[in-house]
Amino acid sequence: METFISMVRKQLLVMVRYPVEFVSSFAMVFLIIMMFTLATLMFSAPGSAGNGPGLSGGIMMYGFILFMFLSDTLWTIGLNVRWEQYEGTLEALYLTPASKFAVLVSRVVLSLVWTGLNMLAGVAFVQFVLGRLPFHNPGLAAYLLVMALSGTFGFGFAFAGYTLLVKETARMTVNFLQFGFMILCAMFFPFSALPSPVRMISAMIPLSYAVDAFRSTLMGFPPGFPELAPLEAEIIIVSGWGLLMPIFGYWSYKWAERRVRTTGGLAEF
Amino acid sequence: MSLTHFSIRSHLDVVVQIALSSIRVQSRYRGWLLLDIVMPMFIAAIPILLGQAIAGPSAAANFQAHTGTTNYVAYLLIGSNVFMIVASALWHLGFWLRREQQTGTLEALYLVPTSRMWILVGQSAATMGRSILNFVVAFSLGCLVFRVNPLQGDILLALAFLAVGIIPLYGVSLLYGALVLKLKEANSLINLAQWVVSFMTGIYFPVTVFPPLLRAVALLFPPTWMTNGTRAALLGVGWFFQTWYRDLAVLATFAVIAPLLGYGVFLGTERGMMRNEGVGQF
Repeated sequence: METFISMVRKQLLVMVRYPVEFVSSFAMVFLIIMMFTLATLMFSAPGSAGNGPGLSGGIMMYGFILFMFLSDTLWTIGLNVRWEQYEGTLEALYLTPASKFAVLVSRVVLSLVWTGLNMLAGVAFVQFVLGRLPFHNPGLAAYLLVMALSGTFGFGFAFAGYTLLVKETARMTVNFLQFGFMILCAMFFPFSALPSPVRMISAMIPLSYAVDAFRSTLMGFPPGFPELAPLEAEIIIVSGWGLLMPIFGYWSYKWAERRVRTTGGLAEF
Repeated sequence: MSLTHFSIRSHLDVVVQIALSSIRVQSRYRGWLLLDIVMPMFIAAIPILLGQAIAGPSAAANFQAHTGTTNYVAYLLIGSNVFMIVASALWHLGFWLRREQQTGTLEALYLVPTSRMWILVGQSAATMGRSILNFVVAFSLGCLVFRVNPLQGDILLALAFLAVGIIPLYGVSLLYGALVLKLKEANSLINLAQWVVSFMTGIYFPVTVFPPLLRAVALLFPPTWMTNGTRAALLGVGWFFQTWYRDLAVLATFAVIAPLLGYGVFLGTERGMMRNEGVGQF
């Protein structure tokens, strides 16, 4: 526990030491929101601008929240090992008798604080600039968000293990994964927009159900939502994702760690 | 050539060798080559699918009312490909010196008896060539996937806008390189810059939707002219100055001014750093 707290303190300390990075990540969120909002306006009927964000705003913004957490998880938790290699601190970390996994988990706190603040600011920005977003069932939505994030962080642990194995290739994989999930999990548009074969792939990814259930709940279940399965089924899938994925992620990371220690790959850059 | 005298041919040799080495390094990362080609499709797919979901069968008509073309797929694919060109210029050139620091080759580079300008020209040439090739391949592939005919409009004119427009972009990236040189750890700044430039360039929408002041700022960005020129040549969305040659002339003016300005600022920053805290500081 002490290792975990020390690492959290270290991560937060590093975060506040780079104020430019902190500010630019905020600015980037606003820019991305503005770009997608203006893109959406291009498809609206002439003269209908100014009617507020409505359903499309809710679909986009609530999907965007999960996308940002996924993206941040892949970069800050999944690629964590690679950063330690770059900073030259990986060997030192492995020489200490502290839990290596606690080091990894400490990044979850960083992601929660950093991306959480970004997302709060993003939602406030959308409400202020574009108007009120649909906001219903906060209790159930909070539960779904916790489960979705738990599963996402678990996925990040598994990805950290993958990074140990493949090294620099992981950076490219992150790009593929975040854009792949963005489309397959329909994070910025409804699932109905996807062609049928792609939608079949979407239905095999638990995160898709998390996106669908989370935004449908917050939008107050408008007609046609949730799109992939009945809500009860989606809650079960999301709960399973949130409870089992961290365990699987931890197991994968430990397996990868053992493997690189046995083969000598840990010290290879 | 001696160590103290350089002919035009020896300068060209430097450019060619730097370009070749850059291409060789880039070719070693095949996954990145693939990513550069499929990424524009992902970036364009978001507004395409979102727009289709929002507007349904009226998507093309609504889009035309705002932009002047019904072909929103090609319009957005051009935008996403320009985004990739901007990102590539900033990461490959703006971040070039920082990468040399990270890979430990910066000192060696500063010890060679040749001007940094030719090294930068070689580096830029390789990235520019790759960017234009990526644009053509990614745009054609995107059109194929979204079932749109890529062979429409004035293709040669579109290529001319791309070829001329990419030069000032590299001038801008040199300005950014100077900033990176000064601030060093600047990944986040480049991340931000690529989104700022893309926003101002209007990768998903025409810059005419901006309020007048923001529109004026957007028109100071060379990529804005490149994007609109390519779209106007292929999709007929209209020129900023009514005719193609006027728009191309503006872009050509940028192509002269931006690299000179960028290189001047870069050299000034570099000199300042060598006099004060030193370029070698990591």
